[in-house]
Amino acid sequence: MESHWLSLFDVSIDFGQSHLFFPRIVTWILVILLGVILLTRYRHVAPGIKQAGRALAGRGGEFDRKRFFGTIVLTTIYFYMMGVLSDVFPNTGYSFLICSIVFVLALSLLYIDHFSRRLLLIVVVNALIAPTLAWYVLAQLFRITLP
Amino acid sequence: MDILSHLTPLFFGLIAAGTLVGIIFGAIPGMTATMAVAVCLPLTYAFGLENGVALLLGLYVGGISGGMVPAVLLNIPGTPSSITTTFDGYPMAQRGEGERALKTGIVASIFGGLFSAAVLFFFAPILADFAIKFSNVEKFLIILLALTVIASLCSNLLMGIFSGVLGVWLSLIGTYSIMDGGNGETRLMFDWMEYYLIDGFSLLPVLIGIFGLTTVLLDAEKSFKDEANQGRISLKNGKKFSFSVFKGQFLNLVRSSSIGTFVGMLPGVGGSAASVLAYSQEKNFSRDSSQMGKGAPQGIVSSESSNNALTGGALVPLLSLGIPGDSTTAILIGAFTLQGIQVGPLFIGNNMDTWYLIIIGLLVANLLMFAIMYLAIKPIAKVIEVPKYILYPLIIMMCVVGAYAINYGIMFDVWTLLLFGVFGWIAHKIGLETVPLIIGFILGKSAEIYFVKSLESYGNYSIFFTKSPIAMLLWALIAMSLAFAIYINIRNRRHASMQS
Repeated sequence: MESHWLSLFDVSIDFGQSHLFFPRIVTWILVILLGVILLTRYRHVAPGIKQAGRALAGRGGEFDRKRFFGTIVLTTIYFYMMGVLSDVFPNTGYSFLICSIVFVLALSLLYIDHFSRRLLLIVVVNALIAPTLAWYVLAQLFRITLP
Repeated sequence: MDILSHLTPLFFGLIAAGTLVGIIFGAIPGMTATMAVAVCLPLTYAFGLENGVALLLGLYVGGISGGMVPAVLLNIPGTPSSITTTFDGYPMAQRGEGERALKTGIVASIFGGLFSAAVLFFFAPILADFAIKFSNVEKFLIILLALTVIASLCSNLLMGIFSGVLGVWLSLIGTYSIMDGGNGETRLMFDWMEYYLIDGFSLLPVLIGIFGLTTVLLDAEKSFKDEANQGRISLKNGKKFSFSVFKGQFLNLVRSSSIGTFVGMLPGVGGSAASVLAYSQEKNFSRDSSQMGKGAPQGIVSSESSNNALTGGALVPLLSLGIPGDSTTAILIGAFTLQGIQVGPLFIGNNMDTWYLIIIGLLVANLLMFAIMYLAIKPIAKVIEVPKYILYPLIIMMCVVGAYAINYGIMFDVWTLLLFGVFGWIAHKIGLETVPLIIGFILGKSAEIYFVKSLESYGNYSIFFTKSPIAMLLWALIAMSLAFAIYINIRNRRHASMQS
């Protein structure tokens, strides 16, 4: 009787499809949990999404769109250009060095509130020295692979 | 004695450098020990395992300790684990006792750190010996327990569980490896993604993205409000520190360090839980807690000893079970993997030299943390003034190095960093819990292997309940952690409704 009852839980895994066995279970759990969250927290979800949309569109709260999207755009350009230049200077780290100098300078300028000549000098010196130092220590001294 | 050959000036120099950099990271509000370890990870590629671990342990201990500086001087916890240090540290600083508060915290920190290192040394091998006997069923249940405990301590149980399962799902993207008994087929992706995702997302770019880039994005949207200059208190001309402040505090030190170590052992539970628990226990059990919250040194003692005790505690499940105790040890697991070391029950037995070096490294890191902070607290306090427009571009730059070098030069890993940096920001906004997500991501593949192998061996789902008394005990613990979470949830709701 007991073994008959336990046989309800029998399972055999087809080796050809075994790569999907666990992911299917996890996906179903995820879908069920999402459903439960939407059902139990619908009062919080809709206003939350609305608020996030307003903030991203720049119509609500203290969301600094310039700095937020500026960071994402500059980082994307930084990564893209690093890939492009690494084909021009393969295995030297020059692509990292050149792109990092420009990126550090551009991002620092984006983050500064009030410009002054002194501040500008600090930012430029930092953008030149820090990536160069990182490139020298990592690529030249420690032989770490850089783009 | 092979071990002595590793105790070189470089080994100690790296611990010192790591500790100093960690303190600096911890002292800057918004930057954490996890971020310090993530950003400095590429430096370990050049060193061997022992020296790499020395650097990372220094960063870990320094990062946790440095958080007390802004907590005392700015009323802003430098790391989440310093939250309770603000309760008494800032009022003391306002009274002109800033240096006294910081030095009290430094002494309490070293006590907590050394206490937990001792627990790690004696307890981890016992736990590992016990865990060696586990079959695939128990190993799967241990992972399930870890995920349940993490989720149950999140602010929202459902979101915590969802985040953990999402982490597991993300980890399954890629090939079901033949090396792990799989069939070598890919899953959870479109055909055109196979070129990039054949091995899934690499762990470290994911971690660096979530803990590095996400932090920058979260601060960028807030316009980098200059917290460092708001209500800053100087350390000049204050009341001097004396060890007499610890008179009658031994019990507090031991209790708080024990709580910190224990909480550290629970997978995924952060330092803030440790310090809040230790602080509330001191408030409940001390003979006189009337001054706590108004500038009592005993509050700093409980907070700082408990959060530093977390370091050794979090290494216990990492080194004995292969399960990270917190987000920083999650990155350490990546560093070990990078060096070709699999942490788990066999780690200590098979790598005795590395094990002893970790213990020595942890002890030395704590001693150096004490020396550096005690002697140089005034210059360190100035670190909180470093502007974000200098720091954050450099952090992203270092994140790139870490992500790119991890697989010896794959540009897709750098894009993974960006992808998960933005994903981390979205997760933060919609209320997903980062820590369960990361722990789920780390343990997901192992969970699959143990789950499928158990079913292939026994052919019946009931084996997870009936395999052994240990399996039943683990189910009992899973049920208890869920029951605890539901109880806390109901209590919090009642509190909220009573207050409103």
